[in-house]
Amino acid sequence: MIFDKPSSVDLLAAISHFLDTKIKPEVPAHLAFKIRIVENVLNIVIREIEKGDELSNEVINQLQGLIAADAPTIEALALLIKDEKIDLEDQDLKDLLVTLSKNKIAVDNPNYSTFKKLIK
Amino acid sequence: MTEELSKALQNKLLEVNIEGKILNLVPLTGGASKEIWRFEVQTNHETKEYILRKGSGIEGPLAIKTSDEALLQQEVRKIKAPVPEIVAVSSLEEALGDSYIMKFVEGESIPRKVLRDAEFKDALPLLAFQCGEAIAKIHEVDVSKLDYLQEKTPIDQLNDLYATYESFNQPSPVFEYTYLWLKDQDFGDTQSSLVHGDFRLGNIIVSKLGLESIIDWELAHIGNPLQDLGWICGNSWRFGQNEKVVGGFGDLEDLLKGYNSISQFKVNEHLVRTWQVFGTFRWGVICLIQASAHLNGSVNSVEKAAIGRRVSETELDIADLLFLGGK
Repeated sequence: MIFDKPSSVDLLAAISHFLDTKIKPEVPAHLAFKIRIVENVLNIVIREIEKGDELSNEVINQLQGLIAADAPTIEALALLIKDEKIDLEDQDLKDLLVTLSKNKIAVDNPNYSTFKKLIK
Repeated sequence: MTEELSKALQNKLLEVNIEGKILNLVPLTGGASKEIWRFEVQTNHETKEYILRKGSGIEGPLAIKTSDEALLQQEVRKIKAPVPEIVAVSSLEEALGDSYIMKFVEGESIPRKVLRDAEFKDALPLLAFQCGEAIAKIHEVDVSKLDYLQEKTPIDQLNDLYATYESFNQPSPVFEYTYLWLKDQDFGDTQSSLVHGDFRLGNIIVSKLGLESIIDWELAHIGNPLQDLGWICGNSWRFGQNEKVVGGFGDLEDLLKGYNSISQFKVNEHLVRTWQVFGTFRWGVICLIQASAHLNGSVNSVEKAAIGRRVSETELDIADLLFLGGK
């Protein structure tokens, strides 16, 4: 990347901090609630930039062991399941669906109770 | 705007012989699609609190008309199940629009307050049994009087959800798996019953004595009643209290004790678990529907955009239930 600091993550984090400390205390409750949603969205983007590649690669690597294709995709797996062209009782398939779900939530909402329970 | 609404309320209440001044009319944060207002009526000898619930008059793919919600609650009240008392109903053509007025019920509906506030500490252990009892009564309402409600078998519902998911062109291996899994399950050979459709913490009013009222009937329909039991157990409605299967406050055993004390059809934990998977899939598809309104440009809403990233919560919950022994 040719860009100067602050990085995209730094910039988003600065907006998030600004909303939290300067705006949220000044607005009525129903808007403060929406600011919280905005902050959540910013944090999703931050986590996706920081960890998205790694989390996706882990799933794709696991997928390579499971389905025969040069460049296996989530869409291809969905189709195989839909057409029942993959053994639904295969433990590797089940493991992959767990990894996929965990890695998605690790970006979307790492505070989600089921995720916290599973990584304990 | 409030003045106009005030006038319309006053006229509507006159029709049912409540004559008084409308005071303290304030909007409450309600569902995304409904307006909810709280107000007082001052008559010669007393002041009473009421709630106005007002919809757009448009039936959604899942939601019923607000005025039908009122009719339904009047039927439910006849069999002495806990619902608010409806005072007046207005149709879309009237000044008040598609809406109804009900008596205010003292208590709390905000999930995190119910779960955390000291006031409800003694109520929480009673709540699962009470919820089971109340929803079992509701499931015994005579459905022949509810001809404005759609009837759907579990398989119809499942196929509708799947078709909706498919229409968004975002293939999910977990949802494909879930659909196949669910198609194979036994949903319980029950009678066709009134189903609340969104029976969970957030849509019940709780006082320090326990369950006071069941509200928010917009997803009501006729079908297999056990889905209400699976829905209230979904992890999405435990608000962080993962270990308390029923709504984040109670145990499944107590919910079923309450339910089976009333219901002719005796329910076991296995059936509830099947419906819990169904409900979690359903909530995932509802999240997709919400997000699609933002994605297709019909609204620009950060809330609706954000809910698209909650689909993964339901995928993880289903993976946990199907593969990891989750409750």
